[in-house]
Amino acid sequence: MTLERYLMVSGGLFLIGIFGALTRRNIIGILMSIELMFNAANINLAAFNHFLHPYGAVGQTVALFTMTIAAAEIVVGLALLLAIYRNTDTTYAEHFNLLKG
Amino acid sequence: MIEHAYLIPLIPLAASFIILFGAKEDPHSPLPWVGIAAMFFSFCLAVSVFWDFAVGTLMLPYQHDWRWFSFANSVAGKSFIDSFKIGVYIDPPTAIVLVVVTLVSLMVQIYSLSYMHGDKRFKRYFAFVSFFTAAMLGLVASSNLLVTFMCWELMGVSSYLLIGFWFEREGPCEAQKKAFMTTKLGDSGLYLALLMIYAKVGSFQFPQMQQFFSSGYMPTTAATVIALGVLFGAIGKSAQFPLFIWLPDAMEGPTPGSALIHAATMVAAGIIVVAKLYFIFLAAPLALETAAWVGLATAFLAATMALVTYDIKRVLAFSTVSQLGFMMCALGVGGYTASLFHLTTHAFFKALLFLGAGSVIHAVHTNDMREMGGLSKKMPITFVTMLIGVLAISGFPFLSGYYSKDMILASVWHHNHTMFWILLFSALMTAFYMSRLLFLTFWGNDRDHDKFHHAHESPALITAPLAVLALFSVIAGYGLARDGFVEKIFPTPVLASASVAVEPPSRVSSPEARMPIESSEYSSPIAHHPVEEAELPHWLALSIIGLILGSMMLAFLFYRGPQFQTAAAIRAALAPLVTVLDRRWFLDDIFLWLVAVCDYIAAAMFWFDTNIVDRIFVDGWGLLMRIFSEVSNFIDWNFIDTAVDGFGGLSNDLGIGLRSLVVDGQVQQYLMYAAIAFSLAATLILAR
Amino acid sequence: MFESIAFYALSALVLTSALAVVLHRNTVHSSLFLGLSLAGVGGLYALLGCDFLFAGQIMVYVSGIAVLVMFVVMLLGRASDLHLRQVNEFWMAALLICTIASAGLYKIAHAFSRSVTGAVATASTDSIGRLFLGEYLVPFELVSLVLLAALLGAVFFSYVDINEALP
Repeated sequence: MTLERYLMVSGGLFLIGIFGALTRRNIIGILMSIELMFNAANINLAAFNHFLHPYGAVGQTVALFTMTIAAAEIVVGLALLLAIYRNTDTTYAEHFNLLKG
Repeated sequence: MIEHAYLIPLIPLAASFIILFGAKEDPHSPLPWVGIAAMFFSFCLAVSVFWDFAVGTLMLPYQHDWRWFSFANSVAGKSFIDSFKIGVYIDPPTAIVLVVVTLVSLMVQIYSLSYMHGDKRFKRYFAFVSFFTAAMLGLVASSNLLVTFMCWELMGVSSYLLIGFWFEREGPCEAQKKAFMTTKLGDSGLYLALLMIYAKVGSFQFPQMQQFFSSGYMPTTAATVIALGVLFGAIGKSAQFPLFIWLPDAMEGPTPGSALIHAATMVAAGIIVVAKLYFIFLAAPLALETAAWVGLATAFLAATMALVTYDIKRVLAFSTVSQLGFMMCALGVGGYTASLFHLTTHAFFKALLFLGAGSVIHAVHTNDMREMGGLSKKMPITFVTMLIGVLAISGFPFLSGYYSKDMILASVWHHNHTMFWILLFSALMTAFYMSRLLFLTFWGNDRDHDKFHHAHESPALITAPLAVLALFSVIAGYGLARDGFVEKIFPTPVLASASVAVEPPSRVSSPEARMPIESSEYSSPIAHHPVEEAELPHWLALSIIGLILGSMMLAFLFYRGPQFQTAAAIRAALAPLVTVLDRRWFLDDIFLWLVAVCDYIAAAMFWFDTNIVDRIFVDGWGLLMRIFSEVSNFIDWNFIDTAVDGFGGLSNDLGIGLRSLVVDGQVQQYLMYAAIAFSLAATLILAR
Repeated sequence: MFESIAFYALSALVLTSALAVVLHRNTVHSSLFLGLSLAGVGGLYALLGCDFLFAGQIMVYVSGIAVLVMFVVMLLGRASDLHLRQVNEFWMAALLICTIASAGLYKIAHAFSRSVTGAVATASTDSIGRLFLGEYLVPFELVSLVLLAALLGAVFFSYVDINEALP
């Protein structure tokens, strides 16, 4: 098994994540897609660690950091979503245009 | 008692502060008794230490140190902690000098009670005297050269204060400034020596320094430089040639203060510091030779100047300078024992002479000897004590000066015969001018009837110290010289490297332990000064006594009559020489001329600085810089700033334009642009 | 042999369930597929010999985040959502972007086609622990602060004053 395969899987997962983040109307969907992208990155880290630096654990350590940050991100994101929903009664991204200049 | 030796300087110091700040100024203040009691206590302590040593129950040197301060230091890449100690180091010379200083100071203070009575700064005078003595005691007893230097400078301040005690008058003001500046000039040499010692040795403790020097770790050149620095300091402090110009002027202060300066504290300090650092001089033969010649020149020049002076205090001042020259010369030729012995005896009889002169001045209210005469009838006690002092300083047999001066002459005789003859001539001049002082003041008839009429014997508070000091002037020489005791007190230090067998480099005091050193001393090629065993040939010793008596007789013949016609005739015959001597060999003029030359050089430098350096370099450079900055400002303002503004405006316009692409503010549209950028980057750049 | 089979099976699982996450109309199902996909990623970790990462993946993602997402979906979901289109009108553009990017990613991945490893996977928990408490001690402590901040933020944003909420 070569590193190329793992990179392809992670690349595919990442692209799926990008696609989801670009196209899902629901904010929860966007958040889930972001999680997919995080995981693609983690697969990369673990795979590089395994193939290029087999006797170290730095890649795995960084992946664990990523995991922690991702957990924090999803928690805050969902809490924000709850707050938004309570105020505006919707979870669809196109209903928000506060960024409009 | 010796464990309380640190109290010897500290108690007078405390007393001086109590006197100074204890009460308001009052001409009849009882506070001086505090100073006298403190000095008496210190005297008792010093005497007990010396007595214990003399009877053999105490082994010297004694050293006790306390921690003072420490700092991190780095030498040659290695860092370590330098710890400074403060403490007392008492070896036999220190012990006796402590006794002498406290005794003289005590006598001076008792004397001053009467002499300064009714002065409007009565209390302050005693505070200064106590402080002065405390500084001297600290200098003598300290185990740390840094503390010694500190006390040295404190003495400079004290002498400044004491010389200018009557600062309302112009003379004392000028004299105090002159004294302070001249001694400061010398101090600079000592200071440089201190810096170099620390750089080389890394310690200011006397035992460590001694070990370092006498083990021969110091290269001769460095030792010579250090020794010359110390010598320069001593030249300033001990009034040696050519810096002795301050001492005659220092007579402007109160007479007992002068006695203190001359006998116990100020001028002795230079000799004592040289003696304390004698191991440096032993490592630097050139400096020793220099010290000898400086001392010789001082002894001779000062003696000649004393011949023609009519001011009674100035005669004594020149005599002090001359005697200090004797001591310095003796140190230079290796007569360590003789020099310190003379220091001790000189302290007694010079204090006696000054106090006696003070008594006379007190009685007749003038310093000029021409207005005195015949006072022996009016002031018998003063006359007798002064007579003893004069005989002692002249070297009359079996008085103290005889022993010490003989020893000095002996050590010089074995060093260099030319020096011996010059020094002998100076000694004869000493006998002459001291006798002249005595005859002019006390002999013959009264020359000024009015002053003579008012003269009277001084009160007991003045005559009692005179009697005590006269007693010591008589017995000190014989008491110390008997059975070679003086060599036990002032053993000549030797270089430890001269013989391997010598184990401690410190001065060994017990006679049994001294024996092997002496035997090794004979065999050593270096530092061998055959002084101790040396004495003058008998014919020479006897003829010296004869010559001294002869010169005293000569003085009697010259100044016999009421108007001393003989002396006046000789004076007229030798007018140019007398003028030279009266003008003090023009040394003051030379120094003034030097100052004037320095002034001219400084003025020229100032002109050069203002007109050339300032004009061309500073102003020109400033102008250049200003032009340059104008140009750069122009470029900055017109080109660079415009470019910066242009970029800002461009980005602003671009942002506004791009924002119009996304009308709705949809987050996924923004994300879309980012994703486009990412995909293009991934395809075109990363995977190229 | 077994490794290849396991790898391809897990990859297929991961990718298909990820597609299902992105494309499924029902958000509840999406979140379930998310859990499945993350579990597959965990399987890949196991295959790479990252035992601790595998355990962390299962505990944090599959049993933590996926369940949390599902919980929020159920809290916010409405029946009407099932009849609405869940994909917006940019899907063609997104597909194009993904296609372009896939070419780049493929080329990058292809550069590593020769990388194989002969190393036998060993337990790495020990060395991770040493890194956490040694070289990465400061980031480790900072991450704990980040988690604390996230906790406080979540409480702050989702807090409802009960008197206002219930009229």
